[in-house]
Amino acid sequence: MARYIAKRLVYMMLVFFLLTFILFVLYHLMPANRAYTDARTEIQTMKRLSEEEKATKFDELYLKYQRLYGTDTDNNVILYLRWLGLYPFYDGHYSGIFQGDFGFSYDYNLPVIDVVPVHMRNSFLIGIITEIAVLGITIPLGIKCAVKKNSRFDRFTQFFTLIGFSTPSFIIYIVFIVFFCSILGWFPVSGMKTPGANYTGWREALDVLHHVTLPTICLTFGSLASITRITRASMIDALNLDCIRTARAKGLSEKVVIYSHAWRNALIPMVSIIVGGFFGTISGAMILEQMFGFKGMGLLFLNAMRNADYDMIMFLEVIYTFLGLFSNLVIDLCYGIVDPRVRISK
Amino acid sequence: MEKKKENVFRKLARWFVRWIFGVKFEEKWFGIRHGVTEKEIKFKDGVPDDSELIVSPGRQILNRFLERKFAVFSVFVVLVMFVVVFIAPHFMTKYYDAFTETTQKDLPPALDLMSVPGELAGNIKMIDSYSSFSVGLSNDGKVYVWGIGNIGATGITVKDIPEEVKNAKIAYVAAGQDHIIAIGEDGKYYGWGSNRFGQFEATDAVRENPNLEPVPDVVANGELDVSHIKKITCGYQASAILMDDGTLYIWGNKQTYANLDKFIGRTNMLDVDFTLNYVVGLDEKQTSVYTGTKGLYTKASATIGGNNSVKMSEFLNGRKINEVRATSTSICLLLDDGMIGLTGDFQSDVQEVPELEEGERFIDIEAGTYHYSGLTNLGHVYSFGGDHYRQAEAPRVSGAAKLFAGAFQSYAVDANGKLLDKWGLKGYLFGTDDRGANIAERVVAGGRITMTVGAVAVIIEIIIGVSIGLIAGFAGGWVDIFLMRVAEVFSSIPLYPFMLILSSLLSRASLSTDQRLYMIMVILGILGWPGFAYITRAQVLVARESEYVTAAQAMGVKSMRIAFKHILPNIVSVILVNMTLSFAASMQTETSLSFLGFGVNYPQPSWGNMLSRASNAVAAINFWWQWVFTSAILIMTTVCINTIGDTLRDVMDPKSTNDK
Repeated sequence: MARYIAKRLVYMMLVFFLLTFILFVLYHLMPANRAYTDARTEIQTMKRLSEEEKATKFDELYLKYQRLYGTDTDNNVILYLRWLGLYPFYDGHYSGIFQGDFGFSYDYNLPVIDVVPVHMRNSFLIGIITEIAVLGITIPLGIKCAVKKNSRFDRFTQFFTLIGFSTPSFIIYIVFIVFFCSILGWFPVSGMKTPGANYTGWREALDVLHHVTLPTICLTFGSLASITRITRASMIDALNLDCIRTARAKGLSEKVVIYSHAWRNALIPMVSIIVGGFFGTISGAMILEQMFGFKGMGLLFLNAMRNADYDMIMFLEVIYTFLGLFSNLVIDLCYGIVDPRVRISK
Repeated sequence: MEKKKENVFRKLARWFVRWIFGVKFEEKWFGIRHGVTEKEIKFKDGVPDDSELIVSPGRQILNRFLERKFAVFSVFVVLVMFVVVFIAPHFMTKYYDAFTETTQKDLPPALDLMSVPGELAGNIKMIDSYSSFSVGLSNDGKVYVWGIGNIGATGITVKDIPEEVKNAKIAYVAAGQDHIIAIGEDGKYYGWGSNRFGQFEATDAVRENPNLEPVPDVVANGELDVSHIKKITCGYQASAILMDDGTLYIWGNKQTYANLDKFIGRTNMLDVDFTLNYVVGLDEKQTSVYTGTKGLYTKASATIGGNNSVKMSEFLNGRKINEVRATSTSICLLLDDGMIGLTGDFQSDVQEVPELEEGERFIDIEAGTYHYSGLTNLGHVYSFGGDHYRQAEAPRVSGAAKLFAGAFQSYAVDANGKLLDKWGLKGYLFGTDDRGANIAERVVAGGRITMTVGAVAVIIEIIIGVSIGLIAGFAGGWVDIFLMRVAEVFSSIPLYPFMLILSSLLSRASLSTDQRLYMIMVILGILGWPGFAYITRAQVLVARESEYVTAAQAMGVKSMRIAFKHILPNIVSVILVNMTLSFAASMQTETSLSFLGFGVNYPQPSWGNMLSRASNAVAAINFWWQWVFTSAILIMTTVCINTIGDTLRDVMDPKSTNDK
């Protein structure tokens, strides 16, 4: 087991470096030159210089900034290694991810590492509530549909989950916003708290709750349909297994057959969705956060994209990639737990 | 049972009939007999005799598919959608992506922009319109309003004609962008609609605002002599009344009409009209367009096309101007010899000035927002100028005595006031968007893009995924391990963040809009193929062990040939199912990306970017038609595609029996 995990971790690191390298190189295709802009700004503050002096001074400054930012080379590998913290800067110091330097967000004027945790916490909070609500609703629903396959209840659910599954999530959000905010006026449209109101303690908590309720409902609704369908499908497959027939034949109660035998089997294909969902809560829901102005990871990423906040994008991308790879590992390990037939000690 | 080969159309027609009317009618109308019908199943000892029921697997799948009414309906819907979005754009000759029209912004769905009320149609005195609504006056002094009467999101509707207007006998009416004014037979003045810029009423707020010119007291107090009114007309947010003796009363928003000041208190005008930005008039010299501003409308020509404009004096050559009529950007001059002159700018999509018959001359010209309609002494009507809404394509009419032009409509009326013909813009099926473009047209054009992106992305996914899956599954060994590791890398790429980075890279690269579109398809395809690779590989692993592959191998067929020629056809069904589901998924990804602004960008329409305005809650409720129709069509299409995929999976799965 430990050997398997170690093997997977090594492989994971390889893929991680590969992906981040690709992303890093892609980034450097973007036309942005911090050293140049900084040198330009500084030269403009210097007055009483002739054109010639300005030119030489600019070259000097440009080189200085390039060395400072570590961009004094075109070699992407060196740039990447510097970013990781495995290759020294011009003056010989190391400053990269391994040294805990994740970069500086020009948008927030703060080190990236100081901005991200707040957003991550917000995303995680509504994500985890949503995930629990979704699983709490869809799993019983999916099981009931599978058990009463082709009943009226099943057909009814199937019809609505088909529509829900086919609707892009943002349309669901639009409908909810129009209905709950514009028509009923129950919830505020966007933001995390009432602007201008400096509530404290209990009031503040209530205010935040008031603001995050609708995003949570929307997010829950957005993923109900697909998970219900998946639960139903895997449950139907599980109920067709020979072992279920055997269980029924030996006279077990229907409850035991369904919840203990069939559900255990149905859970296997669902592991990746459930575990992936929990990891997904950290990455945030981009479209939802954008529409509600909810300060989570998704909105952070979108804003960083829009404002070309490079260090921020790169750091978030690292988080996303890491989460993706790590959740794959956890999913594989969970398969072993859920399905005893899977042996991962090989 | 023997059966003739029938062509595709006949077959489709037959299926259609069967779907709508049932098997009986199909057999009757097409003169065919199905192999087995329910009645004919032979019973042997009370159980059906299976021997006649055996059909080929393909046939069985088809039969089972056709049993599902909703699935067949979905196929029909998807086919119709495809046909519409790929064929209809060829008929939308006037459509182009970047079209904008300020006066037609945010209009709700309506098709009655040209529907003259029945009571008015036989008894027309005058019709006027400037934007989306028209006002008409009957010979007995009754006012009618039709079209879209709601003024934006203000809640004001010009269709609420004030009671006193309904009760009075009206002599003149005129409509502006968001207001209507009327003068009673007794000289009394009425106005309704929006008064934010002092359009019709001189409130205190209007009087205090230096940018607004209040309604002159003479007009407001009803002291005008109605019999001496020559003309009453409205511009964007301004109105003018011209008297026989040349006295001009003009009021409204001076910010939209910078030269409005120059017209206040003038007493020597022969004609007046409004372009989008200027008031234009005709003074008693009748030799130039009076604007009070130097350098405007100094050149004129007899036709729209070509660069044959000459100086006004040269063009007139001694002739006098009788009337000036202004569209938003240009002016038409009616000369004393019955000819016309044009000055100003024209849109690209225009109808040229018609050639008149021998001895025929114009006696009246009316101007819409971009087009002109002219009435000749022979009672014929002609239209020319801007033709985006086909408002300058006049029908053949004779016996017309009066002519009225709405914003994008024209009405020909005979001497008794009976409506002879009308032509121009009827309205908008799905309303207009925030740029004034017709949403119905954009839905079609956007559907073409969304469906193309979805389809091409899936095709790319299939080509890459299936090849890699086949090779991996069939070759096995280290090739398999390597390819599956590659697939794993691709499937662990976080989709949205990666897509956003790539598409923002694309927007920085100098690509044409079409190239950008291709790149989006390729990106979607490249990020989506691992799913197909896994499925194909799994199927190949099963198929590899089957007898026909062993036989082929024994006969010495090369591995690649076995993989692509023998195994591939046997796993097509699984790929087909996943193709359908992926198609819908790709469409959803594209719309979501475009909605966020990182996919297809304006001016190219896509079902995603057409919805992006609805992320604003206020716009979503006020301009509901801007997202309801588009999303309904998008949902309908994806629901149908997913239904087809689901049904295909069900009917192709030999394990799932009809256990209803």
